[in-house]
Amino acid sequence: MHGMKRQLTITKEAIDEAALLGGRAMSGGAGAAVYFAGVVRGTEDGAAIAAIEYEAFEKMAERQFGLLFDEMEKRWPVESVRLVHRVGMVKVNQASLWVEVVAPHRAEAFAACQWLIDELKRVVPIWKKPVAG
Amino acid sequence: MNVRVNFYSYFKELTGCGRTEESLPEGGTLHDLYLRLIGRFPKLGAMEKSTLMAVGVDYQPRTHVLKDGDEVSLFPPVQGG
Repeated sequence: MHGMKRQLTITKEAIDEAALLGGRAMSGGAGAAVYFAGVVRGTEDGAAIAAIEYEAFEKMAERQFGLLFDEMEKRWPVESVRLVHRVGMVKVNQASLWVEVVAPHRAEAFAACQWLIDELKRVVPIWKKPVAG
Repeated sequence: MNVRVNFYSYFKELTGCGRTEESLPEGGTLHDLYLRLIGRFPKLGAMEKSTLMAVGVDYQPRTHVLKDGDEVSLFPPVQGG
């Protein structure tokens, strides 16, 4: 049984940030909601690109995200985390990642969000392939 | 024993396949499997230092002892985000 609410979505669909923001839930004890959108840049190693194609080993990605959420819950008093990661083709200027951390105070919300993104880039089996314009 | 092997990202290009199978003696480790795989797919050997390996959905060290039917995955450093 986990105290921290978790919502993980790995999807081929575009990330609907407005809908995600509209779905935010916070208890009376939570005073900080930090969210981050990772967006595909128009260049990769100096060359113009049209998109990035993301590939995931999905079952393992779910497992590794779960382990990161477990660790995050041990380190910070996070009330909830929601994370969406795209797979498949993501065009320039579209979000490939969206993360939200809700916590009592901003320091732990910022720290936990930053840590989660750093760790996902280290252990979650997702890869990218730039697609030329 | 037989194990199934999956490749991800550009390891599929290096090996020319997404998945394969390999036979190993009982008690064989991930490292034993790796040596057989680079024998079959020499281009994979050049990536040794950056190769990550998982059994099922968990990372495992090369000393990990495999068992019949294991599903092993090999892939380059991850790039999510």
